[in-house]
Amino acid sequence: MSAVAEQQTRVPSPTAGASAAPVQQQTVNRRRPEQGSRQEWIVVHVLYLIIVIFFFAPFLWLLTAAFDGDAVAYIRWPAQPTFANFTYVYQNFHIGRALANSLFISTATMLLSVVLVSLAAYSLSRLEFGLKSVVTYGVLVLQTMPLSATMVPIYGLARDLHLRNTYLGLILVHSAIEMPFLIWLMKGFFDTIPRYLEEAAWLDGRSKFRAWWEVVMPVARPGIVVIAGFAFLNAWSEVLMVIILVDDPGKSTVPLAFYQTFRSNGGYNEVNYGLVAAVGVIYVLPVIALFFSLRKMMVRGLMSTSRGL
Amino acid sequence: MAEIQFEHVVKQFPRQASPAVNDLSFTVNDGELLILLGPSGCGKTTALRMIAGLEEPDSGDIRIDGQSVVGMAPKDRDIALVFQQYALYPHLSARNNLLYPLKIQKISKQERQHRIDQTAELLKISHLLDRKPSQLSGGEQQRVALGRAIVRQPRVFLMDEPLSNLDAKLRTHMRTEIKTLQQELRATMAFVTHDQAEAMTMAERIAVMNGGRLQKLATPDEMYKFPANLFVAEFLGSPPMNILPVRQMDGHLSVPGGWSIPEPSRTKAPAELLLGIRPESIRVVAAGTPGAAPASVIVSEPLGSEVIVNVNLGETMVRVRTPPDVRPRPGEIVHLQPDFDGVRLFDKESGANLRS
Repeated sequence: MSAVAEQQTRVPSPTAGASAAPVQQQTVNRRRPEQGSRQEWIVVHVLYLIIVIFFFAPFLWLLTAAFDGDAVAYIRWPAQPTFANFTYVYQNFHIGRALANSLFISTATMLLSVVLVSLAAYSLSRLEFGLKSVVTYGVLVLQTMPLSATMVPIYGLARDLHLRNTYLGLILVHSAIEMPFLIWLMKGFFDTIPRYLEEAAWLDGRSKFRAWWEVVMPVARPGIVVIAGFAFLNAWSEVLMVIILVDDPGKSTVPLAFYQTFRSNGGYNEVNYGLVAAVGVIYVLPVIALFFSLRKMMVRGLMSTSRGL
Repeated sequence: MAEIQFEHVVKQFPRQASPAVNDLSFTVNDGELLILLGPSGCGKTTALRMIAGLEEPDSGDIRIDGQSVVGMAPKDRDIALVFQQYALYPHLSARNNLLYPLKIQKISKQERQHRIDQTAELLKISHLLDRKPSQLSGGEQQRVALGRAIVRQPRVFLMDEPLSNLDAKLRTHMRTEIKTLQQELRATMAFVTHDQAEAMTMAERIAVMNGGRLQKLATPDEMYKFPANLFVAEFLGSPPMNILPVRQMDGHLSVPGGWSIPEPSRTKAPAELLLGIRPESIRVVAAGTPGAAPASVIVSEPLGSEVIVNVNLGETMVRVRTPPDVRPRPGEIVHLQPDFDGVRLFDKESGANLRS
C-alpha cells in the first residue's frame, strides 16, 4: 500500500498527478535562482532595513519624547509617560493660535498658488508669444536664487507696504517662493494633455477660457493635486520668512512656535526636549494626514508629471 | 446643411520652407461627401483645420454657405470635427460626452434626451453610454466620437482620418457605416485620409493633394481612369498604374521591351513621354499573338479573387492583374498584350496627362 502511494507521488498518474506535476515543476524552478542569490537577498534587505530605520528614527524619537516627562536627545521608551508636554506648550506657546494661523496661511497659499500656477503654466504650455523661451527659462532661473539672499529686500518691501505681521504678507511671500518650480512642474503636466481635447471643446461651442476650465483642468486634476500639495507643504514648513516678517505672537505660525520651544529655558544650552517633541508632533501630524488623504492622487500626478517633463 | 468654398487659400507655417497649403480652391457641395486625399504632409489636414477655425489662412477666403468664416472663432462656426484620436473628454462618461455640446447650445432637456437616444440607437452605442472613454475599445470610442458630432446636427462634418487607428476589419466596416450615415443625414462632409482605398470606396468626389496644392478634383471613377498627372496615377490604385518609358517613332510609340502602340492625336508634342497603363489593362496571351511582347516573371502574388504578377518588361518592372487561375512561376516567360484603351500618356517634364 505504502509502496503504491510512494510510487504515485514520484511518478504521478495522469489523473491523480495532473495538478501535482506543475506544482513540482514550479518549486524546482523557483528554488534554483533563489538559492544562488540568497546572500544577495540578505544584503538587499539589510540595506533596506538600515534606510528605513534611518528615515523612521526621527519620527520615533518625536513620538517617544513627546510623551516623556523627562525626555532626552535619544530614543528610549518614555521614562515618565505623560501628556504634560502637550498641555504645557498649549498654554505657554500660543500653539492653538499658531496652528490656526498655519492652517489658514497654508490653505490660502495653496489656493492662490493653484490659481496662478495653473494659469501661468497653461499659458507657457499653449500660447505662442514673443520671448516665450526667455520667459520660460527666466522662471527657472528665479528658482535657483537662494532664498536667504533675498531676505533683506523682502523685509524692506514688506515693511514699506505694511505687510509685516499680516496674513496677506505671509501668503504672498509663501506663494512666490515655490511658484517658479510649480509653474515648471505644471507646464510639464499640461504639455502631456493633447491639444485636440480643447480643440474639440472649442468646436463644441466653448470659448478658450471655458474649454480650459471644463476640459483641460479636470483632466489635469492629478497635476493640480501635486501643485496644491507642494504649495501647502512649503507654506506649512517655511520658517525663514516667518522669522523676518512676524514678531507679533498673534500672527506666529507653527514652525515659529517650534523654533521658540528650543529657547524655552532661556537659550540653546538647555533644551527641554519633551516640549520640542510635543510641538514637533503637532507640527507633523496635519501634514501626514494630508498626505495620506491625497496619496493616491499625488503619486499618480507625480508619475505622469515626471513622464511629461 | 451647407456648402464650403475655398478660394485661393494659402497657409504658411513659420519656420517651414514651403506653404502647407498653396493656392487651394475647391467647393464641397451641399450634402456631398468629399474626400481630401494625399500623402502625409500634403496639406490636407491643414485645409480641414482651416475650415474648423483651428488654423487661419494667410490669404484667400473660406466661405460656408456663402459667408466668409475667416477670423471667426471655432465655437461660432457650427462645425463638428471627428479627430483621428477621437478626442473624447476622458473625465466624462460617453453620455456626458454627447451631452456636452447640447448643454452648450442650451437645448431643452427633452430634446437632448431625444437626440441622444436617437444617435445612440443609430450608432448602436446605447449600452455603452455610462462608460468612461478609457473603458471603451478603439472602435467604440470612434462611434462615441461620431455620435458627439451627430447629436449636434451641425452645418458641416469634418473627419480627420477617423478610421486610421482602427484594425483593418473594423475600418472596412466603419467605411460603409459612415457613408450610409452621411447619405441618411444628407450631410456636407469633408473627410481627410491618406488611404486611397478609403477614398475610392467612400467619396462622391476626391480631391487629391500633394505639396500643398490640389492635383485634381474628380469622381473616383474619373480619377482612376483618367489621372490628371503622374502623381495621381501612381497614388491611386492598388497596385498603382504602371509607368513606362516610351520612344516616339513615326506614328507609333515604342515601349522598350517590345510593345508598339499607335500614337493618339495630341495637341502638344513634348520631347519626352511616359506611358501609363493600369495592371488590369494588360493581358497575358499565347505566344505568337500579334502585338504581344515577352516578359520574365519575377513573382506572382495570389489575392484569392485575382493574381498580381510582377514581371520584367524590358528593363522596367510591370504589374499585371490576372484571373486567379493564371499563376506563372518565377523565371517563366509570359506574353503580354496592352489594351490600347487603357493607355495614358504623360509629359515626362511636367507630369501632366496628355489627354487625346
